[in-house]
Amino acid sequence: MSLFKGLMDYLDVRLGVRDLIRQNLTGYLVPRRANFFYTLGAVLLALFSLQFVTGLLLLIHYRPDAANAFASVQSIMNDVPYGWLVRYAHVVGSNIIVIALLLHMLSVLFMASYKKPRELTWLVGFIAFNLALALCLTGYLLPWSQLSYWATTVATDAAGAIPVVGEMTVRFLRGGAMVGEATLGRFFALHVMGLPLLLGAVIGLHLFLMRRAGISRPPFGPDYEPPAPLTTFRHEDHPDGIPFFPHYVTKDLAGVFFFLAALAWVIFFAPVLFIPPTALEPADPFVTPPHIKPEWYFLWAYQTLKIFPSKVVGLGAQGVFMTLLAVLPFLDIGPERRPAHRPLFVACYSLGILLMVALSIWGHYS
Amino acid sequence: MKKYSAALILPILLLLIPIIAPSFAAAAEETVCLQCHGGQTGHLGEPVPLWRESVHQANGISCHHCHGGDPTDFAMAMRPERGFIGVPADNDIPAFCGRCHVGVLEDYQASAHGRALGSGGPQCVTCHDNHRVLRASIDLINPQDCSRCHDYGRAEELRQAVSGTDALITGLENDLAELHRLGFDTKPMSGTVFSLRNDFHRLFHSVDVEKVRSKTAVFAQDLDKVEKEVAAIQSDLGKRKLWGGAMVVLLVLAGLYALLIHKSYQEETGED
Repeated sequence: MSLFKGLMDYLDVRLGVRDLIRQNLTGYLVPRRANFFYTLGAVLLALFSLQFVTGLLLLIHYRPDAANAFASVQSIMNDVPYGWLVRYAHVVGSNIIVIALLLHMLSVLFMASYKKPRELTWLVGFIAFNLALALCLTGYLLPWSQLSYWATTVATDAAGAIPVVGEMTVRFLRGGAMVGEATLGRFFALHVMGLPLLLGAVIGLHLFLMRRAGISRPPFGPDYEPPAPLTTFRHEDHPDGIPFFPHYVTKDLAGVFFFLAALAWVIFFAPVLFIPPTALEPADPFVTPPHIKPEWYFLWAYQTLKIFPSKVVGLGAQGVFMTLLAVLPFLDIGPERRPAHRPLFVACYSLGILLMVALSIWGHYS
Repeated sequence: MKKYSAALILPILLLLIPIIAPSFAAAAEETVCLQCHGGQTGHLGEPVPLWRESVHQANGISCHHCHGGDPTDFAMAMRPERGFIGVPADNDIPAFCGRCHVGVLEDYQASAHGRALGSGGPQCVTCHDNHRVLRASIDLINPQDCSRCHDYGRAEELRQAVSGTDALITGLENDLAELHRLGFDTKPMSGTVFSLRNDFHRLFHSVDVEKVRSKTAVFAQDLDKVEKEVAAIQSDLGKRKLWGGAMVVLLVLAGLYALLIHKSYQEETGED
């Protein structure tokens, strides 16, 4: 009897692991036509895990106080063995995660996988997306560079536009009148503990909802027909599907490897792609650097506000857009998922992407 | 309240995400000097676009740093009680610039150029221009500019004497800027090169070819130390790229291998 079989027997008697494996891996069938976009969930899990590990390693040497934060990051980059690799992996990884999140969301939208019975899966995923952006935002301040300092100053200043409680909110976010030690402490706590815990829980819920409802079948191919409306809970089975393990996992792994290859390429050959020069200078509250611009994934919003004559209207438009996106499954309730049968949606979808890209490019060069 | 601060900040941050980015627009503010003169035409407006091209602008030196005054107050910006100096007379320009460029002033004053001040000799802006202040470089020694006052022959000798060291300094500055951009802590090396550069430029303000030649070896020796440090980092960078390239290739191969296995499963199960 091999050691592995012995261990499996031991666990099987106590936990029924063979049954668990059959139910969730080898006997769990996923759609045959699941395309490459279906691997993005696994890619994101791998990337978030990498962020967790690299973040943990950075925590060993990072010092979250205004006097030492920048120097500690410099030390990580220059003195700590392979510190540069860990930090670049963390910084570049966060940007690759946003790319993967956007692709994941866009593919779900295109295939209308958000529709009944997966409205909650979409909503929870949308919350996870926003939490990931909040992680990016709080992480921005930690190196205590000129970019960190001023980006956070203007970002927290935005809260001042809120009627009545604006000023109070700004002070609350900063922990004082200006960005300083208290702000760094707050953002640090959120970045390394609050947000990761919350995001972990939300991702767990997202996975639970996905597993509970079953993976949606891609709405393509001659044999696809919109399902009959559900009146009671039913897990979407795929009796003609392929086993999740090992069949589908190999495809997931391929997706993970290709994304990691892209990540490694940026780390080794274009490490400053996502790092502007102002991120390399220590924070100086007395010198405002020119041309402060938000990260690439906020550029569309940045440009939107510049287009609208009134700040309130611009903010309102963005708020309406984000809200519409969050509640889309509750508005788009028809059973049809095939893109070819949803010309209006596909037109809005394509124009929306073009608009976002155009606004971002405009924002970059404006 | 303090205990729950972090928990309360989070929802506020999340709510702010869509509205945070746009407020980046108003970050950079300009001094009242630039705001007022920037909108004027004629000679009062001329300095602003010229200054925007200058080495001073690139290094954060603005109007009030040279001309004094209060850059935050329209009404008091040009009042002497706020330290406003205004435009210096031609012969006062070396002293005006020398408030910051102390070493250069000393060498200039001891040079043939400095000794001729007041009798047709050049001062700072003759070569470096005013407002558009040109970065001190070997390009300022050229037949067109030098021939405005004297024969180019002696100036050319000086240019040849400084060109090797100047090229070395410029090359090192570029290398260090590139390394800094990649996140390397180049501050000590940049400090050394900056100091050597200033001493060297101070030296050729003496316009004394023999003096420049005799001191060039000392500069070359000090620059060589920095050059070796830079070369060591660049070698490390080369190794990083080599390992990185190997890692990228391995990851792509691993991805292709996983796809190949997936394809074999597809064929096994008659998958589409």
